[in-house]
Amino acid sequence: MESISFWKKYKNILFLILLIVAVAIWKPHAAIYGLQRGSLYALAGLPLSLTLGIVGIMNLSHGDFLSLGIYIVYMFSVNTGMDPLVSILPVFILLFLLGAGVYKLTITKVLKAGHLNQLLLTFGISMILLEVMNLIWTSRPRSVYVDYASSSVTVAGVRFGTYEFLYVVFAIAVLIGLQLFLKKTRLGQASFAVGQNPRGAKIVGINTSFVYLIVFGISVAILGIAAGVMVPRFAIFPSVGSSYTMKSFCLVAMAGLGNLTGILISGIALGVGEAIVQSIPGYAGWSDIVFFGVLIAVIMIRSIRRPSL
Amino acid sequence: MLEVKNLNVSYGRIQVIKDFTFSVGDEAIGFFGPNGAGKTTLINSIIGLVRPTSGEINFEGQSLLDRETHQIVRMGISVVPQDGELFPIMTVIENLRIGSAYIKVAREKTSERLEFVFKIFPILKERAFQLAGTMSGGQQRMLAVGRALMAMPRLLILDEPSVGLQPSLVTELFEKLAVIKTEGVSVLLSEQNVKQGLKVIDRGYVVENGAVVIESTADDLKNNEHVKRSYLGL
Ligand SMILES: Nc1ncnc2c1ncn2[C@@H]1O[C@H](COP(=O)(O)OP(=O)(O)OP(=O)(O)O)[C@@H](O)[C@H]1O
Ligand SMILES: [Mg+2]
Repeated sequence: MESISFWKKYKNILFLILLIVAVAIWKPHAAIYGLQRGSLYALAGLPLSLTLGIVGIMNLSHGDFLSLGIYIVYMFSVNTGMDPLVSILPVFILLFLLGAGVYKLTITKVLKAGHLNQLLLTFGISMILLEVMNLIWTSRPRSVYVDYASSSVTVAGVRFGTYEFLYVVFAIAVLIGLQLFLKKTRLGQASFAVGQNPRGAKIVGINTSFVYLIVFGISVAILGIAAGVMVPRFAIFPSVGSSYTMKSFCLVAMAGLGNLTGILISGIALGVGEAIVQSIPGYAGWSDIVFFGVLIAVIMIRSIRRPSL
Repeated sequence: MLEVKNLNVSYGRIQVIKDFTFSVGDEAIGFFGPNGAGKTTLINSIIGLVRPTSGEINFEGQSLLDRETHQIVRMGISVVPQDGELFPIMTVIENLRIGSAYIKVAREKTSERLEFVFKIFPILKERAFQLAGTMSGGQQRMLAVGRALMAMPRLLILDEPSVGLQPSLVTELFEKLAVIKTEGVSVLLSEQNVKQGLKVIDRGYVVENGAVVIESTADDLKNNEHVKRSYLGL
């Protein structure tokens, strides 16, 4: 019994490690680049999983909150000279307040309104955020230079960036943080309960509206962490985060609702898959197709092989 | 303790509860009525899951009408809903613990309450680490009652607890309710199994089409012609 449940629990992680090792032997650069990039996808995907699993809202403005976070990090850097990684803390708090505010003003009104209305609303928020960023910062790309972000090492003839390992570190840290929050804190346990059964949560005395507000706020705030680590390595423009909405959604679909570890595993697996395609000369443009192709394949396989509880 | 006066509840244009008045004191009362009579609607109005169109609901002198469900529960009313409303991917013990975790007075007594619940339902102790969603229907019902008791309610509301249980389990469950009653908890029981229900209640209301048709003590209900004919099959 023990060994079976152990196998079940760690099976996916073992597969992932095998995958990375196999790819590393074949295409070492793709393995490392994919691991780094995939962790970043996971970092953006984790909070979407939280809002979708607990609040039950598909937030189409997810990636735009990421862009906004990136601009706020940029502003801290330009105006106060603050290091992007240091600015994560104030940006986390600012985005929490912003997310909670937007939630309170708009999303609470459509919680009972059906999925289509919710999608339309968050799509509208996405458009507004995008336009506001365009107005304030224009579409001219900007960047923040920090010297440590461009360091790289060469191991066995393969050259890769070292800064990007921070994506992996932050993704794992956020994953662990969220799991501790959900398991160990009263508010986290309440969120876990609300995600499973909102009505059940109400009748045990949980203030579900408050849980939704906090969870939405935290989800947007976590994008501030992603923003902080991204800024040193990314050109900044208003739609820089846009593609992360759908990518995050893919990860949630692959991992299954409520499976946070699965987000990290799926993120890295897709990141590696994407990196392999990009490494084939002439096929780099196909990488997005891989992302969504793998998603469709996984969903199809899963619906054929019914999951057991 | 609980006073409901001239309550009206509608879903859209359809009025489901009509001018309903009843009260619960330090006693156990029953709502008996056929499917669709409005029993669940009444219970949901009390705990704030459904908003009445007019009327009054007072608990220990305070109106419940403008309160949210979680506030009402924290005032000392617990409910065992018709469909359990458990947390399927939490274990039995986690489901029980969550029953007291968000109610201050109960939280401080969590371990005592757990012992109390385990004494009434030993099966929950045996299965403490099983996921609630994998328990049998009968076991889930016990868990739902146990979880409600964790909150140390002064009023315990049960919505058709006997539905789907084998006859021996129904008898067992009602015996346990009788024990719970002796702990000083007021009980509001909605039931279609009138025969068993009459064993635990002190007073009862027969509810048909959202209105009270008979209000009487348990003994009088047993001898009432309408109750005998329509509910006891005599
Ligand atoms: N959400 C709803 N929307 C519209 N009508 C509803 C809703 N909930 C209940 N009703 C209607 O209200 C009436 C009373 O339903 P209710 O569930 O309160 O009855 P009940 O006495 O609990 O029945 P049962 O014994 O079958 O559980 C029924 O006619 C039902 O169809
Ligand atoms: Mg009912």
